[in-house]
Amino acid sequence: MSDILALAPRFGSNSGQSLTRRDGVAKVTGTATFAADNHPDGLLYAVYVPATIARGTVTHLDVAAAKAHPGVVEVITPENRPPLAGDPDSKPFMFAFRFEALQNNTVRYANQPIALVLAETFEAATEGARLLNPLYDAQQPRMGLDGDAPFTPESGGLGLPGTTVHGDIDAGHAASAQDIDVTYETPEQYHNAMETHAVVAQWNGDHVTLDIPSQAIVMQRGAFGYYFGIPPENVTIRSPYLGGGFGSKAIINGPQILAILAARMTGRPVKLMLSRDQMFGPSGHRGATRQRLRIGIDTDHRMTVLDHNSLATTSTFDTFVESAANASQGLYAAGALRSAHQGVRIDAGTPGPVRAPGEAPGSAALECAMDEMAYKAGIDPLEFRLKNYAETEPGTGKPYSSKALRDCYAQGAARFGWAGRPLAPRQMTDENGMLVGWGMGTALFAAPMFAAQARAVLRPDGTGLVETAASDMGQGAWTALAQIAADSLGLPMDRIEFRSGTSDLPDAGIAGGSAHTATAGGALHAAGTDAIRRLAELATGDPDSPLYGAGNAGVIARDGRLHARDDDTRSESFADIITRAGGAEVEGKGSASRTAEASAAHAMYSHGAVFAEVKVDPDLFQIRVTRLVGAFAAGRIINPKLTESQLMGGMIWGISFALHEEARFDQRTGRIMNADLAGYHIPVNADVSGLEVITVHEDDPHVNPLGIKGVGEIGITGTVGAIGNAIWHATGTRVRHFPIRIPDLLTGA
Amino acid sequence: MSYTISLTVNGDRRDVTFEDARVTLLDLLRERLALPGTKKGCDRGQCGACTVLVDGRRINSCLTLAVTLDGADVTTIEGLARGDVLHPVQASFVEHDGFQCGYCTPGQIMSAVGLIAEGDVGTDPERIREGMSGNLCRCAAYHGITEAVLDAARRMTDDKTRKSA
Amino acid sequence: MSYLTPTTLDAALGALSGRDTEAPVSVIAGGTDWFPAQGERAYNGTLLDVTRVEGMRGVSAVGTGWRIGGATTWSDILHADLPPAFDGLKLAAREVGSVQIQNAGTVAGNICNASPAADGVPPLLSLDAEVELTSTRGVRRLVLAEFITGVRKTARAADEIVTALYIPALSAGARGGFTKIGGRKYLVISVAMVGAVLTLSGGRIATARITVGSASPVALRMGDLENALVGADLAEALERVTPERLAALSPISDIRGSAEFRGEAVVEAIRRTLTQIMKGQAHG
Repeated sequence: MSDILALAPRFGSNSGQSLTRRDGVAKVTGTATFAADNHPDGLLYAVYVPATIARGTVTHLDVAAAKAHPGVVEVITPENRPPLAGDPDSKPFMFAFRFEALQNNTVRYANQPIALVLAETFEAATEGARLLNPLYDAQQPRMGLDGDAPFTPESGGLGLPGTTVHGDIDAGHAASAQDIDVTYETPEQYHNAMETHAVVAQWNGDHVTLDIPSQAIVMQRGAFGYYFGIPPENVTIRSPYLGGGFGSKAIINGPQILAILAARMTGRPVKLMLSRDQMFGPSGHRGATRQRLRIGIDTDHRMTVLDHNSLATTSTFDTFVESAANASQGLYAAGALRSAHQGVRIDAGTPGPVRAPGEAPGSAALECAMDEMAYKAGIDPLEFRLKNYAETEPGTGKPYSSKALRDCYAQGAARFGWAGRPLAPRQMTDENGMLVGWGMGTALFAAPMFAAQARAVLRPDGTGLVETAASDMGQGAWTALAQIAADSLGLPMDRIEFRSGTSDLPDAGIAGGSAHTATAGGALHAAGTDAIRRLAELATGDPDSPLYGAGNAGVIARDGRLHARDDDTRSESFADIITRAGGAEVEGKGSASRTAEASAAHAMYSHGAVFAEVKVDPDLFQIRVTRLVGAFAAGRIINPKLTESQLMGGMIWGISFALHEEARFDQRTGRIMNADLAGYHIPVNADVSGLEVITVHEDDPHVNPLGIKGVGEIGITGTVGAIGNAIWHATGTRVRHFPIRIPDLLTGA
Repeated sequence: MSYTISLTVNGDRRDVTFEDARVTLLDLLRERLALPGTKKGCDRGQCGACTVLVDGRRINSCLTLAVTLDGADVTTIEGLARGDVLHPVQASFVEHDGFQCGYCTPGQIMSAVGLIAEGDVGTDPERIREGMSGNLCRCAAYHGITEAVLDAARRMTDDKTRKSA
Repeated sequence: MSYLTPTTLDAALGALSGRDTEAPVSVIAGGTDWFPAQGERAYNGTLLDVTRVEGMRGVSAVGTGWRIGGATTWSDILHADLPPAFDGLKLAAREVGSVQIQNAGTVAGNICNASPAADGVPPLLSLDAEVELTSTRGVRRLVLAEFITGVRKTARAADEIVTALYIPALSAGARGGFTKIGGRKYLVISVAMVGAVLTLSGGRIATARITVGSASPVALRMGDLENALVGADLAEALERVTPERLAALSPISDIRGSAEFRGEAVVEAIRRTLTQIMKGQAHG
């Protein structure tokens, strides 16, 4: 079923390190096929009706009015919704969240689906949805971080411990010569990928084909199969392109399930695409946090304690507590270290992973608190961080697999011109009288791996085929993974076919955790290596080959030929080897994951340092980020161009976090007041100038065989704090919540 | 009631009949004319993903009712390249990595083509950033987008100068 | 929903006449405000598109003043050859959404929408704009301040079309300015904005028309301040911009800013607008 990919050929240059995207031409010509671009014959359009209350029950829907509208084919409500094999309120596997698929008439949050309208046209479905005019029995919603009594969750985020303590916290506090005790708040944030969630579902008997953007293609195949009572192989997921994911497209949501159900119910293909305002509800978000940080230092400015407590909002019916406090693990060499999480249940959708889950808000608070501590101690914020530089992982004492953070600090500071920064705030102005401030923050993100498989085939014509069900949501997987695969096969890029993005291929794992290149790339590398090993066996065991007797370890693959390692004049082309062996394709298989022993042996992180300059209008307090320099060390860089784009994107998410993004809930109704792109601000082009990314060289022999860490999420970390600190440095006003807005600076004027 | 309009799409004259006055140009292109390159990002004129040229000017196709376009000349992302030869703005977006996921890209590119044709901003990066600010990019490829538009604007100006010389 | 696209004014007015008791008729031009306003309501009325009505589009000199046709877009304003008194209106035109919106959205639509944050209203009030309303019953003209009666409320009757705006004669040296304050650099609904038209004589203000938007339900002219500014040079003018002279405003606290900030921001925005005009720096 991968022929869809042929509709959108992927081209790219095949020389140099910074290759342009292989799918670049498809993306600039409009031929890249995103889920909702599909239009099978007989298509029905689905529109879901969002709840306009946050807590209560639906008491009436005017189904007759909707059905009477021309073009409306069916209205699905809890009354007539066909059964599902899997309970939406169960949690049968990892990454399963409870969701709403019209299992009853309860409303758990605003924008939850309460009915689904199917029609011959999108316009009729939209109108039908409006005509349902729901009536409710509404209850007062619980809102905000004080909306209910806090509870202690079993885990923070996805499977991380709720509380982690290293050392004696009380002793750490007692030993401090100076300390700070500060509380920072961050708001609810929504992924808002430019492509809203979409699905085109087509049933053929008990087999369903889904055009759906997925960050976990093979895993979701099994999940959809579970809910519909069919084996995984009866689900085909086609996800050649994702219009951004940022965590939200790894999780199954209710509207998707309803659309697939509707297709089975009507026997026709169904397309559902969430409207933008519906992106503020059933498809996850980042919960709000309130983080208390207590830092103590001794007379030599060494941290005796780093005590980070976080309270985060979650839903009333499922638990995902943003693991913000974990940002304080792994970075600074504090004598005692605590990360503790609490949750509060409110009438909102369940939060989930959003780009840099935990670390983004956690780093924002931590890096600002570090700045506050440094100022109190009277030393430069960078010097303070160097003073507390961890040579081994704090608490565990594990060696780092690699850590070029010192180089990041040095190169970033040099490029930015950090030296000579006055310690006190409100010291600098520019030629137009704008207040100028400089701030910095450390960036940190773990370098995990998931599990992946891949297949590599060498064909009789000397070309290669590589396969793994990877997801390219913009990070550049199609390009970077193909580069890895080509290298492993000793072939130029234009002689390999790279198949990806569908569920009939080997599992590439989740595109998340900044681990996709390392994981799927590792599997491709292993598969390619395996194929070359088998090819070498054919050659070195064949008396007619010039490589006869060289031994497997004695040959290397380069440019479509095997060469004797010690004698370059002995070589033979792949095509010749395969042809003489009878012409059968040579297949290699590979997998990648991290062993428990490897995890135990080393602490593995990407690192970075971000330096920000802001200018603040002294009268109007308009804030502009005028320079942002990030230096990052993330192991081996496969494609510097795409890496720079990823890091810059992350840093701009940092600008967004620091200055713009915030969902505002109406405390009375529980509805989000700014649930659109006019009200929910993300940066526009004019907000972004003066960005620079430095990738710092780092060899990592331990993290995985390829030495790859990740760059997808680290750009946000460090950046938010750097901007907050720069605003303080410009104005003297310490704002302890995000986003920092114009009125926040008024009080300090 | 049914509506019939005649419009030119990417150079082809099309007569289109539809039953519903609520059909937007965006949905007409995507769901009825098999031109899904133009993307829906918000359906409210707030993100620019659906930008196309109508009579040479960039507009949000999600805010334009198809019925209002009788006689109009529409250019979409599918109509920019000439065979295998990319439009300079398209080529420049690839070269400068002016996108990541690619979803806002058709709108960005059509907006850039419109911007350059307007001729108001020349090669001033500040004005280009402002002029491209109606097109949101959540991947935040803004740096590459600005570089791409600058480069394309320069190339197209050079071409024009050469041709007129 | 049905759709009408008359090419003559008579046909357009005929379509509206006597329809106010039946299914509603919405007059649209660019449609850029109409769409987002639909929300969750089902719309079953008639759309009357006036963009093809002859003579509705364009800016022209009429007698001693100017006429802005009812289907004139913001881009038309930006590209029209107009005297410096219109500089504020042109700066506002650049802020009305994105260029994509400016290419479709109209000046008349902006005032009919009557949002407190409508970018076009402050400069138009400072230009003493008048609104021409036409129906089968006849033609009437209202000053803009009387046309906009409240938040999203206007004096337009159901059978009337805004056929044009008129800008009365301007003295030769009149100059306009505009300032908008918001959190994002572009595409932002303003915290506060100011439109002004000044005439100067020997470096001193001879006449001043100052309008503040986003800080009250309806954009307002600051009469006390306008009187106080007469005779002032730049330094004096800046001093005379005081909160007391802006007492007519009733800034609200909302998602974009507190009332307190709005009050202070308005003072500063007026000062910047005066500086912009008096130093001849009317640019964005």
